[in-house]
Amino acid sequence: MDRGRERRPVWVGVATLVVLAAAWYALTTLTHAIGSGRFPSPAEAWEALRQITLTGYADARLLEHVLHSVKLVLLGFAAATLIGVPLGLAMGASRAFEAFVNPTFLLLRPIPPLAWIPLAIVWLGLGDAAKVLIIWFAAFVPAVINSYSGVRAIEPYLVEAARMLGAQRAMFVREVLIPGAMPMIFTGLRLSLQACWTTLVAGELIGAIAGLGHVLYQASLDIFPAMIVVGMASVAVTAAVMTVGLGWIERRAMPWRRA
Amino acid sequence: MRRTIAAIASGITLGLAAAGAGAQAQQLTEIKVSYQPALYWALPFYVAAEKGWFAEVGLKPEFSTFPAGVPQIAASAAKSWDVGGTGSVPATLGAVRYNLLTIGITNDESYGNALLATAKSADGFVKNPASIKGQTIVLTANSTGDYAVQSCLAKWGLKKSDVTVKSMGQAEVISAMSSGNADLGGLWAPNTYTMEEKAGAKQICSGQDAGAAVPGALIVRAEYAKEQPQNVAKFLAVYLRAWKWLNAHQPEAIAMMKKFYEQGGVTISEASMKKEFTTRPTYDLAGQLKIMQRPAGGASQVDGWFTKIGAFMQANGTFPEAPAAPKFITDEYLRMVDADPKLKAFANRAD
Amino acid sequence: MSATATSRELSLPRWLALSIAGFVAFFGVWWAAAASGFVAPQFLPTPLAVLERFVALTQAPFVGYTLQQHLASSFGRFALGFGLAVIIGVPLGLLMGWFRTLDAIVSPLFDALRFVAPIAWVPFAALWFGTGIGGPVLIIFSGAFPPCVINAYRGAKYVEPRFIEAAQTLGASHFRMITEVLLPASVPSIVAGVRISAGLGWQSLVGAELIVASSGIGYLLVKGQANISTAIVMSGMIAIGIVGFAIDALLRRLEQRINRRRGL
Repeated sequence: MDRGRERRPVWVGVATLVVLAAAWYALTTLTHAIGSGRFPSPAEAWEALRQITLTGYADARLLEHVLHSVKLVLLGFAAATLIGVPLGLAMGASRAFEAFVNPTFLLLRPIPPLAWIPLAIVWLGLGDAAKVLIIWFAAFVPAVINSYSGVRAIEPYLVEAARMLGAQRAMFVREVLIPGAMPMIFTGLRLSLQACWTTLVAGELIGAIAGLGHVLYQASLDIFPAMIVVGMASVAVTAAVMTVGLGWIERRAMPWRRA
Repeated sequence: MRRTIAAIASGITLGLAAAGAGAQAQQLTEIKVSYQPALYWALPFYVAAEKGWFAEVGLKPEFSTFPAGVPQIAASAAKSWDVGGTGSVPATLGAVRYNLLTIGITNDESYGNALLATAKSADGFVKNPASIKGQTIVLTANSTGDYAVQSCLAKWGLKKSDVTVKSMGQAEVISAMSSGNADLGGLWAPNTYTMEEKAGAKQICSGQDAGAAVPGALIVRAEYAKEQPQNVAKFLAVYLRAWKWLNAHQPEAIAMMKKFYEQGGVTISEASMKKEFTTRPTYDLAGQLKIMQRPAGGASQVDGWFTKIGAFMQANGTFPEAPAAPKFITDEYLRMVDADPKLKAFANRAD
Repeated sequence: MSATATSRELSLPRWLALSIAGFVAFFGVWWAAAASGFVAPQFLPTPLAVLERFVALTQAPFVGYTLQQHLASSFGRFALGFGLAVIIGVPLGLLMGWFRTLDAIVSPLFDALRFVAPIAWVPFAALWFGTGIGGPVLIIFSGAFPPCVINAYRGAKYVEPRFIEAAQTLGASHFRMITEVLLPASVPSIVAGVRISAGLGWQSLVGAELIVASSGIGYLLVKGQANISTAIVMSGMIAIGIVGFAIDALLRRLEQRINRRRGL
């Protein structure tokens, strides 16, 4: 009985996608209620997908674009994690450090990543560094905040136990602090990764010659809605795949957690 | 008795006159005009609005501005505007995507669209254009600046594949070049003057130098043109009059240009502003008709310009097939102005 | 000594001293970098130069309006986009949390669109809304919408089952269940979501104003860039930062007050 109720949502989900696809087809191709200039029909989107996969668009084929973007995202994500997580952990563990660093953090945090583009160009030029900087700005905030919360949320009895057993600082950090904060660290990483992908489009406005953001920009200049849709879908799919990958790493890193 | 009749008569006359004036004031038809701010060819819109010339032909303009040609063209899909001015490259894109008609030429901006180089590299490139091979050029794709740059490359026997083209907005081009992160860039005026004055860049080749005519276009939504041809003709008449005035009153023109440019965030020297006038020819009614006239079964001068531009965009991959010039370029509305004695006189006024 | 992983609480004077030191360090590093000439002064103005420019922008118009006027214009767009996101998102999230079927229908679509950066909607915003305020509002909405829905949804889904069962035994209709059980129980989650939503919506402003050429702080930023005036760009960034910070601080106050009222 419970099984039946669980299954219904999945079936409904699939049915919904089918209905939406049918509606998309009907509105665009059958009735032309939505003109092809405003939103592409399924056939147009399919054509655009074929074009970018086989012949190429915006100076490269889809796979190359995806790889370029994945590279940038990984760089930004790595930089955000390597800087943000230790920073957040330190801020969580030491009130003195937090008091010192917080003003800078609070000053820089509300500035949108896109607003850094003019400075990124004049400081770092048009290469990958500038793009990664933009992505980094978006991604490091969730990493810091969640690592910080993770430390603050560590159960007191774990700390007590470690102290009782005479744990030294280094061991304390390795065996109590990091594992204790890990669930929240990973929440932060997940948000970080999402921020990387959403900022990628902004980052690739800085003189990219390939990449999904570059595809979106070129498609907008050509006023090519079908290609924009293909670009958006590609970003969504690639981001989803990377998120699943991150989830896999999370499960390996925290075998003691029951999902 | 006579006095009474006279009094009543004058009363009725005054009443009718008042009603007529009131009716005329109510008779202003709204027309949505689009343009991009701080551009030379958009100046007539500003001037005409300030001088009340739109009202004189019974129009009430509702202006909308766009940061670039592309969003302007895209907005026509939502019927956000009826008429306007834009670059010839966006105009061609608009013709293909949204059935926009080109009904006149705003100006000849061949000199104003150019390839610039930073101060330290300019001399080297001028002396030896072949050294541009392998360089990176930053420009705004699908624009008149793009067209000028690629025409210049062709002039020097270089292919697009010989260089790396990075596309970005004009503001980013300015940032990249002024900070020394790019040596070559494609820009249009007044950005060219901003770069020259504030960053010491040098213009090394313009559309004019490359033999590529770069016109600006007056455009209209095909649907609107069919619904309100009279308004389109009136709009053209106002624009033409504004250029006549601007060309006849240089000092005041420069003053208005300064204000108009400042509103759009551009401050360039008076010398550069004057240069805009001297390097970018405009056309009055007769001039427009001449360049748009099609000899029996042949192509007009304007047709030739736009055909080249269409070919350029097709080579860029913007669309699979360039639009045929006669399909979207028409002098029908200019001829309407010419055929109407009142409008023609209006369009030729220089005061 | 407290048994948490965090070091003990700081005394107020010590906290103040460290905060001020951090503040000073930030400006010190900035000033040093600017003065060192490592980056041309045109591209890294000193804090003082930026401050001067900032004040100048509040007094004399740039691209048509003063800084405050640009901010007001942007805030109007933000308010509309954010307001819509809350008005549509929160009820939707609650409904999705209650009605399994609705959840199943909307979730796939929502998850697909969630990853789309607000800026990617820019071309469609121009196509669909043209010149109206609808364009920028669409982009701000796309940034502000997800947190509203997600947090309302989570709030509704994780309501204590006891409350739901109690209400069901008392014969509550769907409407009453949602408004009198789920909504009150979800308030902390909803308010947290609204706070995040405001932040994301405000941050989408710069992208939203890429199709605008009349007024707005994002527009000011681009024009500053086109004028090779890094000081104007930085002033714009600071203005965005200050307002964004103020919005967040206000909402956090609200969140704390609500939580305190509920004894959390």
